[in-house]
Amino acid sequence: MAGPTTAWLRLLLRFALDGLAGQRGRSGLTMLGMAIGTASVVSVVSIGLLGRAYVVSLIEGVGSNLVFAYGTGDGVNPEEVAFDDLDVFRARVPGVRAMAPVLSSTETMSIGSEPEVVNVLGATPEYAPVRNLVTVSGRFPTQAEERSAEKVCVVSRELARRLWGDRPPGSDEWLRVFGLRFHVVGVYREGVESAAAVQKSEAAGLTVIVPFSTFRNLSPVRTVDVVYFQAQSPQAVSGVVDAVREVLKSRHHALSSFKVESLQGYLVLAQRVSDAVTLGLIAIAAVSLLVGGIGIMNIMLVTVTERTRDIGIRLALGAGRRDILLQFLLEAGILSLAGGIAGVVIGAILPWYAGVLYGVDVPVSALSVVVAFGVSLAVGLFFGLVPARKAANMNIVDALGYE
Amino acid sequence: MLTPPSARVASAAAAHAPEVIRLAGVAKTYHRDGVPVAALRSVDLRITRGEFVAIMGRSGSGKSTLLHILGLLDAEYEGRYELAGTCVSGQSADSLAPLRNRLIGFVFQSFHLLPQLSILENAALPALYARDRERDACFAAARTRLVEMGLGDRLEHRPGELSIGQRQRAAIARALVNAPSLLLADEPTGALDSRTAEEILEVLGDLHAAGATLVMVTHDPEVAAVASRLVQIRDGRAHDGVA
Repeated sequence: MAGPTTAWLRLLLRFALDGLAGQRGRSGLTMLGMAIGTASVVSVVSIGLLGRAYVVSLIEGVGSNLVFAYGTGDGVNPEEVAFDDLDVFRARVPGVRAMAPVLSSTETMSIGSEPEVVNVLGATPEYAPVRNLVTVSGRFPTQAEERSAEKVCVVSRELARRLWGDRPPGSDEWLRVFGLRFHVVGVYREGVESAAAVQKSEAAGLTVIVPFSTFRNLSPVRTVDVVYFQAQSPQAVSGVVDAVREVLKSRHHALSSFKVESLQGYLVLAQRVSDAVTLGLIAIAAVSLLVGGIGIMNIMLVTVTERTRDIGIRLALGAGRRDILLQFLLEAGILSLAGGIAGVVIGAILPWYAGVLYGVDVPVSALSVVVAFGVSLAVGLFFGLVPARKAANMNIVDALGYE
Repeated sequence: MLTPPSARVASAAAAHAPEVIRLAGVAKTYHRDGVPVAALRSVDLRITRGEFVAIMGRSGSGKSTLLHILGLLDAEYEGRYELAGTCVSGQSADSLAPLRNRLIGFVFQSFHLLPQLSILENAALPALYARDRERDACFAAARTRLVEMGLGDRLEHRPGELSIGQRQRAAIARALVNAPSLLLADEPTGALDSRTAEEILEVLGDLHAAGATLVMVTHDPEVAAVASRLVQIRDGRAHDGVA
């Protein structure tokens, strides 16, 4: 074919735009259908990403790159982590940023007039950052207090509420633990209060935390409840798990008494689940995209029928079937592309605006924008093909209105 | 202005074969509800360059069918058809489109202008679809033809804003824009009042005088009288001579 192709395409584009301009209301509604489909795909992906980020934050909120080891108490000869093990862990487990052993017992306190069982934990100052504990008021015990085994404690927010109501404890509040008076220096809560959903959280509920050394001196408890390790990086986590297992194996009769776990397994599982849910949601959103595409086909079929004479005239004047095919494909393409653009804008702005309203950082996936855009165009062209072929293959004599 | 290559090819071919149209044994059978109806039995027809031929016949005589075949609108027929030296019978629809575009100019009974376009755009359409000229050159050619038709001050008007005579003249300008070898007019005065009809026939006569080859289908003997030759379609065959 002679002539520059771009000029030819521009001409057909012009004809296509003329055609669409001739039926603005109908074109607008068809675009709206496409826009809704595209917008739902984009926003569903955002919702999926948001859900995934939320679940990951729940798990990581327990403590990032966390490894924990504890005796299960099961089996014929149950063993627990011993105090001596801790020094060996420090010496032989590489890639650890911080280690936090936890001692645990219970104490019955009378709160109001009710007797309540309260967890008492003995933990080093590293415990707070490793487990992502947040001070609500006051502070955690310091390294100095740990070294000199001071009788200080922090209490969980739940316990503080039961003891003092909503007001923060004064500077001279005391609690009786191990039969002695402990100075309350702070109130804490868990960074993410869902740790219990992932595993038992010893710091949840009515809990008092005292320095590790103080606990060790005053309590008859001779085993470590659980040891937390914070690995230096996510990649180091599995190395830490292996090294901790090695130490336990070399110092105890059977590794089967112990559990050494990390949150990576939970993370991978949670990500897989949220990905599956997102995929399902996308499939549902894709249905609306499909409906939009069928809308385009429907409108284009009506348009082709209405413009039968127009098409006949163009063919009689020497337009090729390719010219007509392309003109109507362009019309369908413009409808779906314009709908796609509008949909992407709506689908990106709505979640973003909702995020601004609720103070949440809502992710908008660039990939989902590109994919939704591409898919809407493809849907338009696919569903535009049938009407365009109908137009291009018209019998000229009939189309001109003879017979 | 550049002469379109197609026009040059057409005139070169015409120099060798002065016949613009040569039909040999052209036959067409419709199937209506499975019953075959012979529209054309065997048409032999030669039209040479510069002729003004009126094709007449009663309704249902097959003259419309003949027009569709001559105009390359209908490719399904038997027999042989040479147009401007090219054998066009048996060619595919895709290869007929450029031939129709370059060799034939149509003038329809009901004008068939596109209502959403200005008459300048309407007249430029065949040139634009030919795709062998720049856009500007197409519009320049269309403007020249429209000015010749006395529509120089109506270029930007839509067909609906013109009188019916002006509309038919715009359609004639459109038919001429690619300098075709053959002008095909299908009842060109059928939708016009007698005064306007006279005016349009005058335009066609002028084109004939200027050397154009015209074939006009009509059922009106007064209109046919303007032509230089009369062909009657009877019993599916073409007969030369007066009615």
